[in-house]
Amino acid sequence: MTEEPYRWVEAISNRREYIEHQLAGGSPIVAVTYGGGVLFLTLSRERQKIFEIYDRIAMGAIGHPGDIERLRMAAIEVASTEGFTRSTQDVSLRRLATFSLSPALKAAFEQIYGPPYLARMLFAELGREGEANLFTRIDFDGTMHTSGGPHLRTFEDYGVLAGTSAQAAAMEKHLAGITSAGMDLDEAIRTAFHAWTIGHLSREEGAPPSPEAIEIAKKEQLAAAVLEAAVLERGTRQAATYRPLPQQALESALA
Amino acid sequence: MEGVTSSGSPADFPALLQRHGLYPAAAPHASISSSSPQETQATTILAFKFAGGVLMAGDRRATAGNTVVYDRADKVLEIDRHSLMAIAGVPATAWEMARVLEHSFQFYRRTQLQEMSLDGKVRALSKLLRDNFGFVMQGVGIVVPIFATYDLAAQCARLYFYDAMGAQFEAADYAVSGSGSPAVRSILYYQNTWGKQPLHEIGREEAVVLALRALDTAADTDTATGGVDRRGRVYPVVKIVSGEGISTLSEEDLATTFKTEVK
Repeated sequence: MTEEPYRWVEAISNRREYIEHQLAGGSPIVAVTYGGGVLFLTLSRERQKIFEIYDRIAMGAIGHPGDIERLRMAAIEVASTEGFTRSTQDVSLRRLATFSLSPALKAAFEQIYGPPYLARMLFAELGREGEANLFTRIDFDGTMHTSGGPHLRTFEDYGVLAGTSAQAAAMEKHLAGITSAGMDLDEAIRTAFHAWTIGHLSREEGAPPSPEAIEIAKKEQLAAAVLEAAVLERGTRQAATYRPLPQQALESALA
Repeated sequence: MEGVTSSGSPADFPALLQRHGLYPAAAPHASISSSSPQETQATTILAFKFAGGVLMAGDRRATAGNTVVYDRADKVLEIDRHSLMAIAGVPATAWEMARVLEHSFQFYRRTQLQEMSLDGKVRALSKLLRDNFGFVMQGVGIVVPIFATYDLAAQCARLYFYDAMGAQFEAADYAVSGSGSPAVRSILYYQNTWGKQPLHEIGREEAVVLALRALDTAADTDTATGGVDRRGRVYPVVKIVSGEGISTLSEEDLATTFKTEVK
């Protein structure tokens, strides 16, 4: 079958459609720069979606839990091995994403007799002194979208991840108009939750949701699901900067 | 990352390193040298419980035979937010062990999404020592560490010492290791038994003074234990573990205390 090129293209296209369909229901994840570092936020119903990868790297993911788990474990192994054999300073999100994760995801996706990864990931790396934070989204086929890099005219200080491209676009559009770098943590939590709600309401292409609709959706969602958030914090005494935020902190920020 | 898989036990960092050929497997026991294993660990490290947690201190000298190789060695190492390890023995092996241990705890927390238990941490060091025993029998690589940590569940400090084979012992009040340790052990025993207060009741200031005096006593007779070089501003490393985490005494604080209380 795959000897005929168009069959292969068709198989890939079917596979893409299938995976997109599987991922479409995923709850969006928002990561924003704030005064103290990087904030990750999402709403979840049953399982954890934001994870620590290394000293300055965190990950949020949607998709099949088994696949997320394999990718998360692989990312931690690559980062930890590098950090141990060389130095923790040598672990970088750019290298992790470009040289390890992206090729592996692409290979799994295009080998149509093997299973692809049903997952989409958002990584953030806390910038070192005087450097900007980096946000990178990696899709199930290995394609990447990154906030920094020499080719981008404007540097984004946020990253988003969602089930559909319409959702991601709506959140990005909203966040592009906000400068969050000077915000305190509470303000950043409110900003991220607002962006999340916009993403949640924008499953289909169309006009952005009205402010009333956003406020109603916020209340409904908070009643139905649980906020999950974590930060990569600047100025910690320890090399590890990741810290999950307790429910209490999130509730008081949104009160 | 071969096809992005993780085989073996996913929580075990040393095993991961071994799979990648980055950490030596246990040395062969067959080629035991005729000379008995090196007995002395040229250094002095000490730790004792006091009212504010555990204080851990060590001198700064590193020696090779009769030669002083280095006078700024740091033998009290931070392993995680609440754990300290003091090392006596061959520096190359000891520092590597501390590094593996530090990464193991982090790796466990990151992959398993929970902190390694206190018993698990204590045991992890024991296993590293056990794996290293082949080298010890060959006359190289002996390490006899002390491990201090804060038990957040029980709200109390805990202190452990080890032998070169990896046996672990929980110390009730104090633990010492290294060639200068007999003097220090005697001082701590005396203070704990006949001092004004037992060690676990003394305050922070008093604890620091006691540690500095004990190390100074050890340095007086043990050539492998470094004293204080005030001109070079080289003071012992003193760290404290408590419920709030680890604090390191600054050079200025040590200089002042040393001047007023020790010499």
